[in-house]
Amino acid sequence: MDMLALGAGLAVSISGIGGGIGMGIAGGKAFEAIARQPEVGGDVRTLLFITLAFIETLTIYGLLIAFMLVSKIQ
Amino acid sequence: MLFGMWDSVFFHLGPIPVDHLVVTEWAIIALVGIISFLATRKMQLIPTGLQNGFEAVILFTYDFFTQLMDEEHVAKKWAPLLTSFFLFILISNYSGLIPGAAHVEGFQPPTSNWNVTMTLAIITFFSVHIAGFSEHGGHYLHHFVSPSPLMLPLNLVEEVAHPLSLTVRLFGNIFGEEMVIAFLLFMAPFIIPTAIMGLSLLLGAIQAVVFTLLSASYIGAAAGKGH
Repeated sequence: MDMLALGAGLAVSISGIGGGIGMGIAGGKAFEAIARQPEVGGDVRTLLFITLAFIETLTIYGLLIAFMLVSKIQ
Repeated sequence: MLFGMWDSVFFHLGPIPVDHLVVTEWAIIALVGIISFLATRKMQLIPTGLQNGFEAVILFTYDFFTQLMDEEHVAKKWAPLLTSFFLFILISNYSGLIPGAAHVEGFQPPTSNWNVTMTLAIITFFSVHIAGFSEHGGHYLHHFVSPSPLMLPLNLVEEVAHPLSLTVRLFGNIFGEEMVIAFLLFMAPFIIPTAIMGLSLLLGAIQAVVFTLLSASYIGAAAGKGH
């Protein structure tokens, strides 16, 4: 039971680290691109949203596993 | 009991049990339908009020999808479906902000249950292949063995992974957000949850946009000139 709680915490935190770093890099580069060339802002924003959605999915997988583990505690 | 796992069947429609999610969906569909009906009841050449707002939404989405899909006739064909997706997901995400949602048994936003999001994703899955076949005919099958027949298993896995990731993304986001609000309401019933609720206004809109955007780009990729 203790290990389940630990596992749930680790699942969400480790996937959060990866997703956070990835999103930071993607977002930073996108802002850089928009700052250099403001006229492509719309295209970059659309691509950025798609990319962030893909990255975020991996974090959400971790969150789901954490929920599943939490529902097993008791 | 874990939030969102309620088993509250209201009544049976023949052999099909109708639970709280289906009823909430009906309410959302009725809301969108009634507003659309009121907006288009007395259409004028120079729009006023509600019609004006709706025309702005339709024009914006048409332009947006045309830009995303490259081909205008494909975008015109699929924009109604995608815009309905957007409105439905947006309103069901926001229905979690009504006081009592995630708190009262039997009331939760429909998109926080994976059955609902998987239904939406399966609609996208079939739309993608219908769009591909109607644009390219039998030549569309070519796209599964490109760039070489060795890639066939990988391409098939990709086709299954798309709806699966759409499902999990929408469900996980909304479910997680509702869980956080439920926990906060449990620990601090006043004031504090409003911070997360304000954030969830943003999150709900972003998830609706992302689902629509990804569906549009899958349909655009299947119907496009690429293969």
